[in-house]
Amino acid sequence: MGRWYYRNYYTPAAPREVKGGIKAQTKRGGFGQSWWAKRWIAVLESFNIGARLGRGRAYARRGQVASIAIGKGSVTAAVQGTRSKPYSVAITVKTLSGPEWAKILKALSEQVIFAAKLLAGEMPDDIEDVFRQQNVSLFPVKLKDLQTSCSCPDWSNPCKHIAAVYYVLGEEFDRDPFLIFRLRGMDRDELVKKLGEAHGHRERKEGKLDRGIEKPEPELTSASDPLPEDPDIFWQSLVLARTEEKEVSIPPQSAALIKRLGNFPLWRGREHFVESLERVYSAASPIGLDIYLGK
Amino acid sequence: MEELARVLAAAVPEIRPEKKRFQDLVAWLPTRAGEAIPSSPVIGEQPPKRGKAKLRPWIVTAYQTDWSEAVDLLCACSRKRVLAPGIVLGNDLSYWTEGLRFAGALVARQQYLPSIEADEGDFRAVWAPVYLGDDSEVLMQLERTMPPVARALSDIGSPEATGTPAIDRLKTFLKGTLDHLVRLACREEWSVRKKATGTAFESIHDAWFFALRSQDDLIRGDKLELAALAESVCNWARPISVTALSPLRLCFRLEEPSMSEAPKRGRPRSSEESWYVRYLLQPRDDLSLLVPVEDSWSNSVAKSVSRQMTGAKVTEYLLTSLGQASSVCREIAASLKSARPGGFTLDPQGAHDFLTEKALLLRQSGFGVMLPAWWTGKGTKVRLSLSPRVKSPKMKAGSGLSLGEIVQFDWEVAIGDEKMTLQELKSLAALKAPLVSIRGQWVEIDPDHIQTAVDLLSRKAQERVTVRDVVQLALGVKEAPRGLPVEKVKATGWVSTLLKQLEGSSGLVDILPDPAFSGELRPYQLRGLSWLGFLSQWGMGACLADDMGLGKTVQTLALIQRYRRSNGKKPVLLVCPTTVVNNWQKEAFRFTPDLPVLVHHGASRRKGTGFGKEVAKHAMVISSYGLLHRDLKLFQDIHWSGLILDEAQNIKNPETRQAKAARSLNADYRIALTGTPVENNVGDLWSIMEFLNPGFLGSQAEFKRKFFVPIQAERDPQAAERLRRITGPFVLRRLKTDRSIIADLPDKMEMKVFCPLTKEQASLYAAVVKETEEELKSSEGMKRRGLILATLSKLKQVCNHPAHFLGDNSAIPGRSGKLARLTEMLEEVLQIGDRALVFSQFAEMGKLLHEHLQEMFGIEVLYLHGGVTKQNRDRMVERFQDGPDGPSIFVLSLKAGGTGLNLTAANHVFHFDRWWNPAVENQATDRAFRIGQKKNVQVHKFVCAGTLEEKIDEMIEQKKEIAEKIVGAGEGWITELSNKDLKELWKLRKEALGE
Repeated sequence: MGRWYYRNYYTPAAPREVKGGIKAQTKRGGFGQSWWAKRWIAVLESFNIGARLGRGRAYARRGQVASIAIGKGSVTAAVQGTRSKPYSVAITVKTLSGPEWAKILKALSEQVIFAAKLLAGEMPDDIEDVFRQQNVSLFPVKLKDLQTSCSCPDWSNPCKHIAAVYYVLGEEFDRDPFLIFRLRGMDRDELVKKLGEAHGHRERKEGKLDRGIEKPEPELTSASDPLPEDPDIFWQSLVLARTEEKEVSIPPQSAALIKRLGNFPLWRGREHFVESLERVYSAASPIGLDIYLGK
Repeated sequence: MEELARVLAAAVPEIRPEKKRFQDLVAWLPTRAGEAIPSSPVIGEQPPKRGKAKLRPWIVTAYQTDWSEAVDLLCACSRKRVLAPGIVLGNDLSYWTEGLRFAGALVARQQYLPSIEADEGDFRAVWAPVYLGDDSEVLMQLERTMPPVARALSDIGSPEATGTPAIDRLKTFLKGTLDHLVRLACREEWSVRKKATGTAFESIHDAWFFALRSQDDLIRGDKLELAALAESVCNWARPISVTALSPLRLCFRLEEPSMSEAPKRGRPRSSEESWYVRYLLQPRDDLSLLVPVEDSWSNSVAKSVSRQMTGAKVTEYLLTSLGQASSVCREIAASLKSARPGGFTLDPQGAHDFLTEKALLLRQSGFGVMLPAWWTGKGTKVRLSLSPRVKSPKMKAGSGLSLGEIVQFDWEVAIGDEKMTLQELKSLAALKAPLVSIRGQWVEIDPDHIQTAVDLLSRKAQERVTVRDVVQLALGVKEAPRGLPVEKVKATGWVSTLLKQLEGSSGLVDILPDPAFSGELRPYQLRGLSWLGFLSQWGMGACLADDMGLGKTVQTLALIQRYRRSNGKKPVLLVCPTTVVNNWQKEAFRFTPDLPVLVHHGASRRKGTGFGKEVAKHAMVISSYGLLHRDLKLFQDIHWSGLILDEAQNIKNPETRQAKAARSLNADYRIALTGTPVENNVGDLWSIMEFLNPGFLGSQAEFKRKFFVPIQAERDPQAAERLRRITGPFVLRRLKTDRSIIADLPDKMEMKVFCPLTKEQASLYAAVVKETEEELKSSEGMKRRGLILATLSKLKQVCNHPAHFLGDNSAIPGRSGKLARLTEMLEEVLQIGDRALVFSQFAEMGKLLHEHLQEMFGIEVLYLHGGVTKQNRDRMVERFQDGPDGPSIFVLSLKAGGTGLNLTAANHVFHFDRWWNPAVENQATDRAFRIGQKKNVQVHKFVCAGTLEEKIDEMIEQKKEIAEKIVGAGEGWITELSNKDLKELWKLRKEALGE
C-alpha cells in the first residue's frame, strides 16, 4: 500500500489548516456508506468518548488528516492539530492466529460468493456469520482488540485526532473490503491466493502464481512486426473491411464504470469525485455519438 | 511544404499550419528500381514490374498535428474518397477515420476511465479507453485490417523500418483521440483553467483533476507524490482492468423450459415453467468454444479453457467476474452460495426480467449474453397488434373522393398472425404474465397492452376518422391508442383498394399518355406514369428514382400533359440543376410539343408583375435551384398545379435555402426525381420526404430520434422496417438490371445530352466567331478552307472547355457546362456500379478529362491515346474488362480507341464532343455494344445547346441518309458552305448561356 509524503505546512490558525489533507467525502450524517464501514465506525462510537467524536468527525471533513499509512495490523497517521507539528497517531489491531485463519479460510471456501464478492470489491453480506461460527470476530469488538495512541497532549484516549483517523479509515473501508483483513493480519493477495487454492488449484506453487492478480495481464503483443515488402499488401489497395457495426447509444445511467469502481481511495480533492466525473461523462457522450455518426 | 499546407488548409479550415511543425521524416516504402511504388495509379504510374520490391527509406515532409487537428481532419475525411478535387485519401487515412468512429463510440457509451501516465519523468492525466466485451473484438478487428502503410513512418536516421506492431499504433491512436474528445466536453472550462494554471493545488488529486479537464494534460506536483498517485489509480481501476484485458469472457445463456409435454391447443402456458440461465466461459480467441462454468471449477478443465492463462488465473477471473455480475443480478448472487455454481433457474416473470433488463445490464458490464433466437432485443418478433377494420363502399370512377373523407372503423386484435377473441384476451389478461407460450411459441406480451386491447374490444361505439388518418395508421405514421402497434389495417371497399394500391399489392388504374404525346412509352414507363398519376390524384408526393437512362423525363412529361388535360390550366413548375435546363426544354419540345414551355432562367428572365401573366400562358415553367431561392417571391405568388424537382438530391440537406424554398411553395401535387438511391441514405431521406409528404416522418428532431439514430447507431432492424413502411409507397425505383425492365429496354439507347455554356465559354465563343468572320471576308481557296476547319476546331474546343481552347493548364472545375454534366452523370454511373467509356476526338481534352475525373472521384481512370504502347494498351483493356475491382471509367481518344478494342464491361458510352461522321461515332460505340455485352448500352451524346454543335447535330438528324454520303469523308463538306450559311451555322443562340 502506498505511503503519502507531505512537506511541513506553514499554518497560522488553530487547528491549522491542511492544504490538500484527506477530506472525507461524506458531507453530512453518518460516516461510511457500506455496512462494513458502519460496522467499523460503530466500534469507535461504542467507546463513549462524547464530544471528541464530533470534533474528530469535523477534523476528518476538514482534511486535518495529513497522511496515513496502513500496514498489517497497524495504522499510523499524521493529524494536524493546533501545534505547528502534526501529531502522530497509531492504531494497532490484534491480528488473528494461523490456526484461526485456517479455519476461516476453509469455511469461506465452501461458498463461492465470499471470494467473488471480495474480488469484485464488496464485503459479502453474511461474512461475519462465518467468522462467528468459528468463534472469531472479524471486526474488533473488545477494547483489547484495539490499541490506540496519539502524541497530542490530551490525556483522554481515544482523542479527537484518533477519532479523525478512524473516520477517514471508515471511508477507506467503503472502497476496499480487504482493509479489515489486512488489519487482521491477512493481505489481499495472500487471501486471494488461498481462497483460489481452496477451489482446487493446489498443485502449482511456483513463485509466479504467488502474485495472484497483482498486475493486469501484459499487453497482447509487443514484439516488432516488420513491414511487408510486397506493394499490394503494403498499400492494401483492397477496400477496408468496415469494422463490424455495433449498437451505439448513450447509456441511460451516466458514468457506470466509475460507479462500479466507487470512490477514489483516500480522496483529497476539493470536488466530489463521482459527481464531477459524472458531469464529464454526460457532457462527452453526445460528442462521441456525433463523431460516430460522422457529423 | 507549401503544398502540404495548402492541402491541409483546403481540407480543414480549422487547421492553421504553423511553420515550425513541419518536419522531415522517413517513410519506408516498397521500392523497385530506385522508384517508390505508388499506392494507387491515381497518383502515379506504376514502375515496370522488374525484380522484387524492397523497403527503402524516403524522406517526406510531414506535419505534426495535435489531436484536435487530427480529429478535425479525420472528421472531414469520414467516408469519403476525395476531400477536394485533386486531394485523394489514402487507405491509411480512411482507416484512421474508422478508428476515430470507434473512439467516438467508446466515448458515447462511456467506456473509458480517468488515468495517469508516466512520460519521461513527467506525469500526464489521460482519459484511457476500456475495451470490455465486444469492444475488445472490434479492437482486434481494427488491428487486423490496419494497412501496413499506416505504420511506415519513422524518424530520420533510423537504420531500418521500425515495424511498430499495429496494435501499439492503434492503441496510441485510440487513446489520443478518445482523450481529446472527452476533453472537448470540458472546453467551456478551458479558459478559466488556463488562468488558474499558475496557482498551487491543495492536493495532488486536485492537480490530477485539473489536468484531466484542461487542454494541457501535464500534472504539476511533486514527483514522488505523483508516482504514488499513479499506483493508487492503477489499484483503483483494477477490478475493471482485470476483466477488460482478460483473454476470457464470462457468458450467460438463457435456456427455454424444455417442451416435453405438448400443451393443449389454445391454452396459454406460462406459469410453473422453469427457465435456466447457464454460466459459460468463452476464450476471446476462439468464440466457438463454450465451457460450462459448472465444469470449470476443476483445475484440469479450467486449464484447458484458455491457452494464455493458468488454471488459477482462470478461477480468479471467474470469481471476480461472478462477483461483479452478482451485484447486477441478485439471482446470480444467490447462486453463488454454493461451492461450484453453474447457473440458476427462473420463473416466467424472472425470465422476462432477465430478457428485458438484466441481459442489457450484463451486456453493458462487458459480459456475453445469449438469448433465444425468437427474442429480437426489442421484443419478440411475434407481438400483439391492432387492426382497425374499415368499411367503405366500392370505389366508383370519378367519384371525387379525397383523403378528407370520413370513415368508420372497429378494432381487431391479433397476436402474431392469430386473431384473438375477446374471451381469449380476457384469459390472457388474467394470467398477468409477460411471457406466455401460444401454440408452442414464446411471446412477450405487455399485460397492460392486453388490458388496453380488452378495453378497446369491449367498447361498443365505432370510431370515426378521416381516410388520411387511416392511411397514416396503415403506414405506421400514426400510433393506435396507448402506443399499441398497428400491424395491418383491414378495410373493405374503396379504402381497401386505396391502401392496397399504396402498398403495391394491388394494381393501379392504367393511365395512358395523352393522344398529343409524341412518342412511345415502354411498358415500365406506362406503369411509372400510372403510379405518378395515382399519387398525384390523391395529392400525395411521389419520388421517382429510376436508374439513369430509364426515362424519368418522359414519364414526367407525359404526366404533366395528362394532368393538364384533366385539371385545367394551372402551370407546373419544374426545378432542375442549371446543366439540365436545356435538356428539359428540348425533351419537352420533342415529346409534348403542344405544351407551351417557359424557361425562367438567365439574366433576361421576367421579373415583377409581368411574371404571373407570362406564366399563365404556359403549361410548364423550367427554372433552376439557384433561382428557386432568389425568385422565391415570384414563385410563391402562384398556385402551381405541380411542383417537380429534378435531381432532388439537391434538397437533401433540409437547412439549405433551396430546400426551405421548395417546401414553401403551393402545389396540388409534388414530384421528386432522382437517379441516386435515396432510400439507402437514411440521413438524406427526411428532407425529400418532408417536401413530398410533410409531417409523415415527424419533425427533424423526431426523425433523428425515431429513425436516424436507431438505424445508423443502433442497427435497429425494426426502425429500418418502420421507415421502409412509411416511405416505401412514395418511392419508385427501377433498376436497369431488373428482369421486367430488361425485357422492355432496347439493347442500345441513344440519348442526346444538351449542355449549357458558361459565361466564359460564351464570350470566348463569340470572340472566335467575330475574329473568323473578319478574316473570312478576305480569304479564298485553300486559305479559306484552312481557316474554316481551324475555326470549327476552335469552337469545339471552346464548347469542351476553356482550358482546352486556351491550352494554358489553367484550373478545371466550374468552367464548362459539358464537363459539369459529365461529372454529374458519371457520379451516378459510379454509384450504381456501372462502367463507362468516355470518347473525345481531342487528345488534349482526353488528358484533361483523365486528370479531372481522377481528381474528382479519387479513383483510377484509364486513358488511352495515340502514345500508349500496344503492350500497355492490351494491359488497360484487360484490367478494364476483368474482375470486380477493375477501373470503372475509361477515357479514350477517338483515334486511338475508336476501333478494334473489345470493351464490353462498359454499359455507358459518352461522346464528349461530336464527330460529324455518325459512322465514326457508331464504330466507337461498338467498342461496348458488341458480342459479349450482357447489359443494355446507353449512349450519351453531348451537345452544347445553341452552338454549332447543335446545328450540325440537327443537320445530320434531318438528312441522315444524305449525311452518310456527303459527310462520309469527314468535315470537308462544311468548307464548301457559303459565308452566309457558315454564319448561320456557328451563330451563338440565346439558349446557349446557362447562367
